[in-house]
Amino acid sequence: MAIRIEPSVDGATGGPAAGATRSGGHAPAVELRGVTKRFGSVVACRNVSLSVERGEIHGLLGENGAGKSTLMKVLIGLIPADGGEVRLAGRPIVVKDPVHAAALGLAMAQQHFSLIERLKVWENVALAHRGKLSRRQAVRVVGEIGRRYGLEADPEARVEDLTVGQRQRVEVIKCLSLDPDVLILDEPTSVLSASESRELFGVLREVVLRDQRAVILISHKLDEILQATDRVTIMRDGSVVESMATSEADAHRLARAMVGRDVLLQAEMAAVGLRDEVLAAEESADPSPGAPASPGTARVATGRAPALRIVDVEVRAPDGRMLLDGLSLEVGHGEIVGVAGVEGNGQAAIGDLLSGLARVTRGRIEVDGEAIGATSPRALLAAGVGVIPEDRHRSGCVLQLSVAENLVVSDLGAFTSSKIFLDRKAILRRAVELIEAFDISTPSPTTPMSALSGGNQQRVVVARELARGPTCLVAVQPTRGLDVGAVEYMSEQLRKAAAAGVGILLVSTELDEILAIAHRIVVLYRGSIVGEMRRDEVNVERLGLLMGGRQA
Amino acid sequence: MSAVVTRLRGLLAAPPGEVEQSRAAAVGQLVLLYVLAIIVALLVTGALVEIVGGSLASVFSAIYTGSIGTFGAVGQTLDSAVPVLIVALGSLITVRAGMFNIGQTGQLLMGASVATLVALHLHGPGPLVLLATLAASVAGGAIWAGIGALLRLWRNIDVVISTLLLNYVAIQALGYAVSTQSILQEPTPPGGQAGGLPQSALIPASVRLPHPGQYPNFGVGLGLPIAVALVALFAVLLSRSPWGLRLRMVGANPVASRRFGVRVGLIAAGALILSGALAGFAGGVLLTGSVYRIQPGFDNNFGNDGLLCALVVRDQPWALLPVSFFFGMIRTGGSFLLSTGVPFYLAQVLEGLLVLAAVFPPVYLERREWARRLRAARALVLKAAA
Repeated sequence: MAIRIEPSVDGATGGPAAGATRSGGHAPAVELRGVTKRFGSVVACRNVSLSVERGEIHGLLGENGAGKSTLMKVLIGLIPADGGEVRLAGRPIVVKDPVHAAALGLAMAQQHFSLIERLKVWENVALAHRGKLSRRQAVRVVGEIGRRYGLEADPEARVEDLTVGQRQRVEVIKCLSLDPDVLILDEPTSVLSASESRELFGVLREVVLRDQRAVILISHKLDEILQATDRVTIMRDGSVVESMATSEADAHRLARAMVGRDVLLQAEMAAVGLRDEVLAAEESADPSPGAPASPGTARVATGRAPALRIVDVEVRAPDGRMLLDGLSLEVGHGEIVGVAGVEGNGQAAIGDLLSGLARVTRGRIEVDGEAIGATSPRALLAAGVGVIPEDRHRSGCVLQLSVAENLVVSDLGAFTSSKIFLDRKAILRRAVELIEAFDISTPSPTTPMSALSGGNQQRVVVARELARGPTCLVAVQPTRGLDVGAVEYMSEQLRKAAAAGVGILLVSTELDEILAIAHRIVVLYRGSIVGEMRRDEVNVERLGLLMGGRQA
Repeated sequence: MSAVVTRLRGLLAAPPGEVEQSRAAAVGQLVLLYVLAIIVALLVTGALVEIVGGSLASVFSAIYTGSIGTFGAVGQTLDSAVPVLIVALGSLITVRAGMFNIGQTGQLLMGASVATLVALHLHGPGPLVLLATLAASVAGGAIWAGIGALLRLWRNIDVVISTLLLNYVAIQALGYAVSTQSILQEPTPPGGQAGGLPQSALIPASVRLPHPGQYPNFGVGLGLPIAVALVALFAVLLSRSPWGLRLRMVGANPVASRRFGVRVGLIAAGALILSGALAGFAGGVLLTGSVYRIQPGFDNNFGNDGLLCALVVRDQPWALLPVSFFFGMIRTGGSFLLSTGVPFYLAQVLEGLLVLAAVFPPVYLERREWARRLRAARALVLKAAA
């Protein structure tokens, strides 16, 4: 396979700002040269080079799927690279597995903590080490690290009793107890509050200044990269696009580099008025006197309540974590609203909210002007809220039932004859109709759902939700894990539904998907909407800033 | 990454047997395993029989003669199969709803106790009192299971634990009731010794289920047609009614069921209560059909046999008929064993081994399938780990 030569950051190590803490002439603490990693036909990392100095916090910035985590997993030996080289202090090494990595002085704090909740803090720290468990020693290590870096943690506390911020601290203590030369943190702040994040960055600063360790900080948040790092390397689509001293960077430059130019191109096309045919047809078919349609905006009937209105909703996870924090938004009839945002900012919770599966602690939902009990799946169904959930196996279908049963499952009452028996003929008739109309590929209507491919399972979900004639439909990551054909199919279905007057809420972390069909785009960050723009005024730089948590 | 997760989910979520295996091959494997398992069970029993000095051939001939060798024996076997069948039907319903009721013994005892109270104290035309007695057995079992259902709704307490523990409570409560004159103990006959036996009085003849025919000729109680009718009724409801579909949904995917408007808690609680009602009804049939009084040990292990029977049929209601008959055979054949000089407990050993042989193959195949899928999943993760 031919590998495209990408700009390498090797030459950038002589950058002026990063040199402050580095003694000249020495080899970098860790260096990746031309690392390539393929998963099947997908190239996760393409000839990536990265060099991190001692005494430096190196930011690795990029969107979801840019290849940051893959690169780090190669570095600590979780996955083997297909090509390229890793050097530690100038010496080429082959990292066999994470245990070997730890022995070599590479430690990584995982995004999803690798802590065992039922165990105590000292036990978790002791688990990172080989050999005999020594309670005394582990407690001493926890105390020492705590004093040294201001990372206080009670060694006798059980991890399950700690807050996420404290758990993060334990995770870092566990890594530091290995006395690593290179400490890697994968999205460490994704679960932290702003003050907890600041605290963590203070600790990292100590770690590099006092001990001349190297820190790699993976993040998609612009602010923390700017605040906490000395150098930043930006990845997009598996390649390094830019690397610079943080002192030379600003949020706009980072956002542009992270979101990328190809997206910009698409957005520009939309912005210069490449209106899609659906909109045009819609306008000519139903000229509404009250609502002059502006380019790129849906024709939203004035005077009519929005199809869906979410007002100041707060949703918490069972463990108390905030998932949606004062979320408010509106979707007009026939309008497609795209919810952009980096993964983990509340996308799944929006699906759960409109399915009636969320723990709503505040706020309300209105459908077509009527307030609906936000915790009652039946009320939401009855009000005409359709949901294509993020995880269809969890709440989108029942794999053990047949395709036909899955197609009617939210309307069983309508398929019951004489109150006692299911009208199986009617169910089959309906199933055959929908299988035809939605182009579902299945051996028969009675085939178990589990035997279908992911794409066809998704079509079953789409068919069921749209066939009920919903007032509004929320689609959360509807094409995730599916192929390109599925993306087109979904766009077409959503457009058709919007043209028929359904208010569509499209929640996606794929900006392309949103830019392709949304009339209006809102940005979701930490569980609330932080910005909004019409498609014809989309500005990718601003979008990137908002997604990264900056006001713009 | 997300593609991998989706594939993983598909891999792990599909029901057993759906992944990369032809149906014919799967059935062939299952049959072969059944044959092997039963041969092993027989060989082990044979070895045990030889050790205690009997002969395997005589054991089989005794079981055969005692269970289906004569018309009379067939009738008795059918009578023994009836409580097993009714209890098993209820167990199967809870399994469909994704729960595991193991409180059949307690529910059966409670049903029978309440039924005894009604049979002894309600006066009126025999058939009406009989109906009221059976209704009381249903209610008794339902209430006993209802405690577990409430605990589950209220604090999500595991049904396995609550129903299991309620068995002990029921056994102790029965022991107390039949030793207390003011509750269930039979009145001491005039001039009899104070204290008396821990058992209730016999229920009046008019409150007993009709039993046409008498041993050694063919005869079978009215319980049989009632039980078969119940199986037919529920087999049809389970496969054809919205309730049956919802029950399956709740068992398979409670989260999605909620989203589709199913009242998950109620359906599950209802299934458990229904299962208890059927176990209680089995107690009522036992009381009015063959035992006629209640005492400690009244359940005679019917509750556990019913649970096992449901395990063996694995979700196929119609299969309850032959399998419960098989359990009946072991019972009647086993008691006949005594005549051959082989200890009775060997019949129970044989029963246990045969049940194991019947439960083992599907579980083994499922386990193997899971191990295979977990291996595949692990390979996928290692390959992708991104």
